Amino acid sequence: MASSSDYVTLVSNDGFSFVVQRSAACISPVIKRMLDPKGAFMEARDNTCTLQNINGMVLEKVCEYVYYHEKHKDARDVPDMDFPTELCLELLMASDYLNI
Amino acid sequence: MSGRRGGNRIRGPQSALTDFLAANNISAAQIRDDYERRRQQAEQDAADAGEGPSNQTPEQNDDEALAAAAQAEEAEKKTKKRKRTEKDAIDKIKNAKATKKGKGKKKGKKDEEDDEDGDDDADYDDDFGMYKKARPAPGQFEHCDICNKRFTVTPYSKEGPDGGLLCTPCGKELSKDVKKEQKAATKSAGTGRKRRKVESDRLDGIAVGGAKSLSQLCIQKVAQHHDDIEELGDLPPSVLERLSEIFSKKRVMKSKTLPLFLRPDLDSVIVHDAAYLEEEDYRQIFAIVPNVRKLVLSNTCQLKDGAIDYMLERCHDLRHIQLYAANLVSEGMWHRVFREAGGKLECLKLSWLDAAFEDLVVQDMVKYCPKLERLKLKLCRRLGEDAVTSISDLPELKHLSLQISQNVSTPVLVNLVEKRGSGLQTLSLEKFIDADDSVVGAIHDNCIQLSKLRLSENDTVTDAGYTALFTDWDNPPLKFADFNSTRDIDNNNSGGPEDAIGLASSGFRALMEHSGASLRHLHIASCRHIELSAFMDVFNGAQNYPALEYINMSFCNRADTSVVAGIFKSCPALKQLVAFGCFDVQDVVVPRNVALIGVPRAQDAIEQFGIGIGVDEAISRMVEVTT
Repeated sequence: MASSSDYVTLVSNDGFSFVVQRSAACISPVIKRMLDPKGAFMEARDNTCTLQNINGMVLEKVCEYVYYHEKHKDARDVPDMDFPTELCLELLMASDYLNI
Repeated sequence: MSGRRGGNRIRGPQSALTDFLAANNISAAQIRDDYERRRQQAEQDAADAGEGPSNQTPEQNDDEALAAAAQAEEAEKKTKKRKRTEKDAIDKIKNAKATKKGKGKKKGKKDEEDDEDGDDDADYDDDFGMYKKARPAPGQFEHCDICNKRFTVTPYSKEGPDGGLLCTPCGKELSKDVKKEQKAATKSAGTGRKRRKVESDRLDGIAVGGAKSLSQLCIQKVAQHHDDIEELGDLPPSVLERLSEIFSKKRVMKSKTLPLFLRPDLDSVIVHDAAYLEEEDYRQIFAIVPNVRKLVLSNTCQLKDGAIDYMLERCHDLRHIQLYAANLVSEGMWHRVFREAGGKLECLKLSWLDAAFEDLVVQDMVKYCPKLERLKLKLCRRLGEDAVTSISDLPELKHLSLQISQNVSTPVLVNLVEKRGSGLQTLSLEKFIDADDSVVGAIHDNCIQLSKLRLSENDTVTDAGYTALFTDWDNPPLKFADFNSTRDIDNNNSGGPEDAIGLASSGFRALMEHSGASLRHLHIASCRHIELSAFMDVFNGAQNYPALEYINMSFCNRADTSVVAGIFKSCPALKQLVAFGCFDVQDVVVPRNVALIGVPRAQDAIEQFGIGIGVDEAISRMVEVTT
């Protein structure tokens, strides 16, 4: 496997895995550090991050967010991303953990 | 009658209705014929016969052929439309029949008990569908679906919710409702309001270019639906604080939402807008969170003695008390607070106290709070000189912030600085209008650990005094310097006296020379005696101020575009530059990550944000423009 592949996998605690672009996933400094090839973490070898405290639904929204963030990086007057209210608090905890 | 066709003149035995229809070029006979034809067609499943118009033409008289032909065309159009609507009606009936057959089948497959009901329904529906009325032609009378009034059908009659037609007023109402719904759906994302909100968010520092952070989006959503939340779960304290901040900002911190932020394991309770909280709520706070160490309540207008009493009873670990506008707390209660809880108190911040809190209380405070390190007393109307004298005796004082409305004579201030200066890391003296050079001299002589210095709204200290302060000063470079509104106020002499008062050119130069290396925050608004040359010397691009993030030079009207360009060059870490009232600053091209606020041009927004341009490119563009 290439040492620095273009895509990485994020796995939720209930077994869902999401394949996202490395550049998007590394918007989160936590994930970036986990996947850093210079680091000694197991995640860096497999290009897979298992997030034990985030479930599938929330992780899906997180993936959507990282792409949304990357897409609108230099733009002005960006419209807010939409997400269901029920996910709100869990998403807040996840975003606080991932620091995004 | 065939003879009346096309005529506008009313003649002979004709009903008023026929006259009216004839006046509108509609023939009653024609309508009758069409109706008969339609009924027959509805019973067959035949395709369009196309016989309608051609059937009618032979009936005309020759000398009215022209008019008749014209009318026939019109009639043809109408019949075509009618045929279309009829066809739709027929299709509907077919579909209805089909679904009913399907329903019947499905129902047939169910249990026996359902059979009968199913059959009955199917039969009923079938019959109903068969005799469903087709849309009556324009000119016919019809009963309104909603109000049941009789009205004449026109081509513009609206269809009601049940499929029938509506009279004109009901039709108008319906279309108004529909329009309102559409408006609500689209206008909720109203562009004007949205843009202002985005700008307001940017000024709050929330989003500078690009998308908002996910935390911010979630917090906004939570604040939007604050009514529906029952519990906040296990959020970490930092997130809880930000949530409470936004709840306070949206003014939804009330009795109902307060419990969301109270958990027994928390050690700080921070409510920035407690205006809606009542006695019961305060008791609840202290009941649920007895181990509170840091208590921050702003706008606590309804905090009374009873609640404080309960607090002293329950909470024995208070280290940080911040109460703004607690005006209902009595003098005696303040005394009690310090006597009972003063032992562990390390930080006290009080402001906006009008009715109580006098110099004697400050004396008690000094006596009973030996560990006090941070003290902020602002806008406490009853405090005066004696309070300042008492404060000079606090042994551990490290951060002092004072704004006292009554007159405090200079020797008292000097005394304060002399006694406590060596330990002070923060010194903020706001609105001491008469403090003079001796105070600044005392700071120079006694303060060796200051990192934050504010001396604002003063018109006595001279520029020479400031220069002396920053020359050969043992203090390491400051991180925060605020000298706003230090200038001479004399309406007859707007240029200021010869020997400048307030922070002016030489003082500014000395300040930047002393603290430039580690200065983060520079606030020199209204220091209008600082000359252009001083600005140019300080921000000339060659000098580098690596930590400077925020500059406020509003109303320093000598500054111009080249100064701003120099600032961009010299301050690589710059995030915000506030320049209201600097009228010589024009045509600025703002580099990436910098927010320029307050430079007006008629067509620009009040704040401009750099998007995607590097500093050098921005400056080169500006130089092109100015030269």
